[in-house]
Amino acid sequence: MNEALKLNATLSGGNQLVDWASKSYLIVDDFIGVRQLLRESLRSLGAKSVDQASSGGEAMALLTRTRYDVVLCDYNLGEGKNGQQVLEEARIRNLLMPSSVWLMVSAEKSVESVMGAAEHQPDAYLIKPITEGVLLTRLNRVWHKKQIFKKIDQAYAEKDFLRAAKMCDEQIALNKVHEIDLLRMKAHLMLKSGETARACEAYERVLKEREYQWARTGLAKIRMANGEYEQARQIFQGVIAENRYYMDAYDQLAVAYNAMGMPEEACSILDRAAKLSPNSVGRQRALGQVCLKLGNVGMAEKAFRKCIAIGEYSVMKSADPYLGLARVCGMKNEPKEAMALLLTAQREFAHDQIELRAKITEGMVYHESGDYRRARKAGEELEEILNRDAGRPDVPTCMEMATLLFAVGVKESPVDLLCYVIKNNHDNTVLLDDVQKVFDKARMSDEGFALIKASKKEASDLMNQGVLLWKTGKLTEAVDWMREARVALPNNMRILFNSAQILISHLQQRGYDPLLAQETTDLLLHVDKIMPDQQRFAQLMEQLAALCPRVDDASERDARSA
Amino acid sequence: MDETHTTMAPDGAMAEKDMPEHGAADEATGSNELFLFLASTAHDMKNSISVLSGTLETLLADTEPASEEQARVAYPQMAHMLYQTKRLNDNLIQLLALYKQVGKPEYPFDIQPLEMGDLMEQVISAERVLLKSKNITLVTDFDPALIWHFDEDLIIGVVGHAINNAINYTRDTIRVAIACVDGCLEIRVEDNGRGYPAAMLEAGVQAMSGKRTGVNFLTNSTGLGLYFSSEVAKMHKHRARSGSLQLENGGAFGGGCFVLRLP
Repeated sequence: MNEALKLNATLSGGNQLVDWASKSYLIVDDFIGVRQLLRESLRSLGAKSVDQASSGGEAMALLTRTRYDVVLCDYNLGEGKNGQQVLEEARIRNLLMPSSVWLMVSAEKSVESVMGAAEHQPDAYLIKPITEGVLLTRLNRVWHKKQIFKKIDQAYAEKDFLRAAKMCDEQIALNKVHEIDLLRMKAHLMLKSGETARACEAYERVLKEREYQWARTGLAKIRMANGEYEQARQIFQGVIAENRYYMDAYDQLAVAYNAMGMPEEACSILDRAAKLSPNSVGRQRALGQVCLKLGNVGMAEKAFRKCIAIGEYSVMKSADPYLGLARVCGMKNEPKEAMALLLTAQREFAHDQIELRAKITEGMVYHESGDYRRARKAGEELEEILNRDAGRPDVPTCMEMATLLFAVGVKESPVDLLCYVIKNNHDNTVLLDDVQKVFDKARMSDEGFALIKASKKEASDLMNQGVLLWKTGKLTEAVDWMREARVALPNNMRILFNSAQILISHLQQRGYDPLLAQETTDLLLHVDKIMPDQQRFAQLMEQLAALCPRVDDASERDARSA
Repeated sequence: MDETHTTMAPDGAMAEKDMPEHGAADEATGSNELFLFLASTAHDMKNSISVLSGTLETLLADTEPASEEQARVAYPQMAHMLYQTKRLNDNLIQLLALYKQVGKPEYPFDIQPLEMGDLMEQVISAERVLLKSKNITLVTDFDPALIWHFDEDLIIGVVGHAINNAINYTRDTIRVAIACVDGCLEIRVEDNGRGYPAAMLEAGVQAMSGKRTGVNFLTNSTGLGLYFSSEVAKMHKHRARSGSLQLENGGAFGGGCFVLRLP
């Protein structure tokens, strides 16, 4: 045992010693001297199994073959993927074990790496030069933290959020040093369970200790989810004033502006954020889209091109910037390049309703560049696709399709599409305004206004009648009515939620019925799929779970593993 | 090769041009070109220096002097080389951190809760070989379970630098003491040397007062370390209180004391 180990043993007397000698390691760095130095450090911890990669691609190949216990990965890897992209891909492709430790190494901390709200965070960041002591201390700390979070993560994966939150509380009492991280997890779990007030409580407790920006931002996100956009805006701006490199606050502020129907403001904040930290695929995409909406062709082009460039080696790569850039080319009267982009998009992304979306874009490009004959043809093909499939695409796609169809002179099917959008989102006032704008552009302002009003009424009547039946105690009728309403409006969140609520009432008052319970579960999972992480989803799931006949723990476990 | 600096440079220039309202940028405009040059140079050298100091440290730790002659001449020389390499590396790290603070983008300040045991473990292990090879005893006085919130990498850098400095001043003993004093975390690095000369004590005051003219940190490496440390201290804020740095003489051994206070 060398002296570093002895030192560690005496200093961290309370912590259990970890057997780092028997673990498998991967070192990823493009500089051979650094790789050798790191290998020496690991060897002196006793490590025998140490692999090395000099690029992101090489690392991916090794990660595919071997499940490593510890990965030491440099952030900057020259050409190709950077360290963050390697981590993201490894996580998404499940190449890491839950117990795997990922240490991100960089010559210095980068804003993006520390402040970025990257979904896939490494377990720790290390700054070069890495001394043995730092390496060992951080390895031990990460390992200890992983032990604490192990069961919590497992409960989380089982969507058993409230049990996980309870475990957080238990661990806070035992591990003061991880209190802040545990509170962060608890707040997240409470949000997932629809317990907004208790999530706020957890964030407030963090803020009592220290002014952590993520906790402040968390409070603002809750405000935003409650539709309190103005309050959320103020908090986000406060966070930015306090720390102008906290990028998540910029992105969230743009979301708030968009929800408030203020695209100019959303654009300007995203522009500022993209200048400070340009290498976020999501940010460049959001910027390009809002620029397109505002008709700022130059900025949109720049954002989409950047988005494609930085997305090249990222698993976050999507069809959106290709379609957006094709629109830009259309506006610049370069239909040839636009068509080439659409071909690329269809070749590289064989999902995401790519055929439909590419066809819409194609029509728009031809229309904008004055080729009305080809635009018309695209419109006809679109109508065919629509007629072929009873399902309807997501809201933005419907809106784009309606816009195009109006533009090429079709009237009936875009009106149907827009009415479908309104009925399924009858209480979203910002969206209703957008629909009105599409009607305005088609010189159908008055007609559109009347259609929106009628569709809105149809949806709310449908819902109110169901609620009325429920309130007057006609539970079976209410359930039947809502079942019909769901068929008519399959993606109306309020109808879906109310429908689930009424089904649960039925189960509560008329006794448990496995068929109705299954119907409720399916319904709620459908809601969660079209709009994830809604508070009411978790609340209703919990109510439903409480109704399930109790089984003793052992058989529950058996059922789960079966 | 590590390429961060090439992507950093244009961002820095862009951010500064677009955000003239930011004070720090204005102040640094004149020397920005120089910073850019220094930062790129420092960055290029860092990987090599890491390898050099790492190798020296391994060599020193593994080698027992073979003869009396070697123990008397070669071994201390190697130790001195390690000391110089560490100083050089420290300066490079500080230059880079300063560049990020003064130029753009700023250093991403990352506060986290940390146990003092973890902090000291990292500091001590980084200095262990050097202390041993120079026959200097390190005395510590701290509660390993005490938790404080700060930027771990920056504080390790500052304390490590203070110890490196004390190695130069001490006769044979250095003391690192951490305690909670008046609601602040007080980290003291004390030695049993002759104490700081008056000019250094003055430089410490200057560094804290924020008058950058008082310290010529481009030519005087001690000044750079002080300036860096005081900047790090000031970055730490909590409920209207900021961190501070003080140089004094006295302490447990009557020598020089480097005192860092964090709110």
